[in-house]
Amino acid sequence: MTNQFILRSALIAIISAWLTGCSSEEAVEPPAAVETEADAEAALIERAMAIHDRVLTLDSHADTPLRMIEPGFDMAERHDPRETGSKFDYPRMIEGGLDSVFFSAFVAQGIRDDEGNTRARDLAIQMLDAVVASADANADQVGIALNPEDAYALEQAGKRAVYLSIENGYPIGGDIANVEMFFDKGVRYITLVHSTNNDLADSSTDSNGPEHNGVSEFGAEVIREMNRLGIMVDVSHASDDVFFDALELSKAPIIATHSNARAVTRHQRNMTDEMLKLLAENGGVIQLTMLSSYLRDAPPNPEREAAITALQADMKPATEMTPEERSAMRDQINAIRRQYPDPLATVVDVVDHIDHMVSVAGIDHIGIGCDFDGGGGIDGVFDVSEVANITIELVRRGYTEEDIRKIWGGNLLRVFKDVQAVAANWEA
Amino acid sequence: MRTLRLAGVAALLLVPVLGSAHPLRLSLCQIEYSSQAATLTVSLRLFLTDVNEALVFDPYSRALRFAEADESENAEPLLLAYLGEFFSLEANGEPVPVSIQSKVLGGAGEDTTLSIGFSYRLTAPLRSMTIKNVVFTDLFFDQTNIVYVHVDDASRSMMLSKSTPSHTLEF
Repeated sequence: MTNQFILRSALIAIISAWLTGCSSEEAVEPPAAVETEADAEAALIERAMAIHDRVLTLDSHADTPLRMIEPGFDMAERHDPRETGSKFDYPRMIEGGLDSVFFSAFVAQGIRDDEGNTRARDLAIQMLDAVVASADANADQVGIALNPEDAYALEQAGKRAVYLSIENGYPIGGDIANVEMFFDKGVRYITLVHSTNNDLADSSTDSNGPEHNGVSEFGAEVIREMNRLGIMVDVSHASDDVFFDALELSKAPIIATHSNARAVTRHQRNMTDEMLKLLAENGGVIQLTMLSSYLRDAPPNPEREAAITALQADMKPATEMTPEERSAMRDQINAIRRQYPDPLATVVDVVDHIDHMVSVAGIDHIGIGCDFDGGGGIDGVFDVSEVANITIELVRRGYTEEDIRKIWGGNLLRVFKDVQAVAANWEA
Repeated sequence: MRTLRLAGVAALLLVPVLGSAHPLRLSLCQIEYSSQAATLTVSLRLFLTDVNEALVFDPYSRALRFAEADESENAEPLLLAYLGEFFSLEANGEPVPVSIQSKVLGGAGEDTTLSIGFSYRLTAPLRSMTIKNVVFTDLFFDQTNIVYVHVDDASRSMMLSKSTPSHTLEF
């Protein structure tokens, strides 16, 4: 595997350490202590990269199907994330050493009537078809995966594995037959609910509060059908009561494909220690996500605030501005933003969450779901090409290769097998 | 759960895709055409903080007070002027005038949304539609604008952005 970013980082670390130890007038030989420190860092990175290369790496959640419906967007092309906002394409997947991914078809919650449900179903199908089409068009590099072992088989064949999933149960509508239709389309997990309540379950972030006080009656039926078919039940975005209901209702372990620890960062989307413990008892897995606001409390940005306040103090009332003046004002604000960017969370924050989750739930119940193209992307893991930096930080904290193998996909694929085993032994 | 209807359109619930301050920069547009009614119905749902930032350069400004009882008289003209630059629609090669026939606030706090809607009657059956939607790409490099198009019983979606500002659909 190659990862130019990591190699560049290693080189910079070595050169920086060396340069800090000598001025232009000093001997070119670096001091021994600095050399040792730089060597140690380089060795750590080399060790981490070797592990990253050996273990099967799986990202359980990417909203990249949203990009795939952008006219002209080509998954075979490398995109600049800071120019286009795109966080995932196949060249960067290879560059980052990511072996497998769940692409999630997301349909925004709309009206919950027959017409709205039908439209949501059709839109979800369009996105799933777009994923399959992108895999077909790049069949020399990726393949559609349907079962846990497919990821390993594709890796052996030198390809990346693409799994399908749905974020938000809205496209199921009120028709239970749609669950099997989506299974037949290749969907292997369904996130029950998104940011507002739906017919299946309550969201953790609906401003109107709970509607069902957990999973609805129909939602319970959907979970049962998912169990029967071997579709994983995803409780990310769901309210706490939905989590507890899903634990009780599901005959198979459940998953949270992109959620963090609430004890570390207080956010309703994150899971409490009690939930983490129960998830571990259930045999499930929580997949840590790369959203700054779920990873740490946002630090203040006083320089930016002061600069914008000063600009606004001299500003003509916006209602009296000409279009040219408005455009100039926008340029000035954007310049301030570039000068004082909001700091993103870092890989250190990520592994702080992992450390906590491991201490509460154990190493067998943690994974990674970056949520690229759904808001995910932090300093050091801004896009998929940089995911190996997580492995480096894990090695730095003392995680073993076996630990990292579990975190980077082993745990999720174990749950996937367990879910399929429940389906295989299903008795009506 | 609350449901919204705007000018006959099943309005989208643009939701905080990712919690506070919606780190995924997003807007949702829904366009519906019914052959029977020969009418295009458009719903555009935007985060209110983005609207305020675009119009008065302050995401938390109370100057415009969209869809409130004491809405500023400047609110609609400013928004229409902004949309005139960043959002447009053509049907059968002819411009569809953008207007504001309905306004609804949804959500709460950072995730408050402003939904505007309008309808436009076509004089000929819909054969093509060109949608340009680059709202807020002047503010955020990673702004993405999802468009759902429902023509009679067929639905499809697309995403528009700074790099793909517009797209034409043929029917």
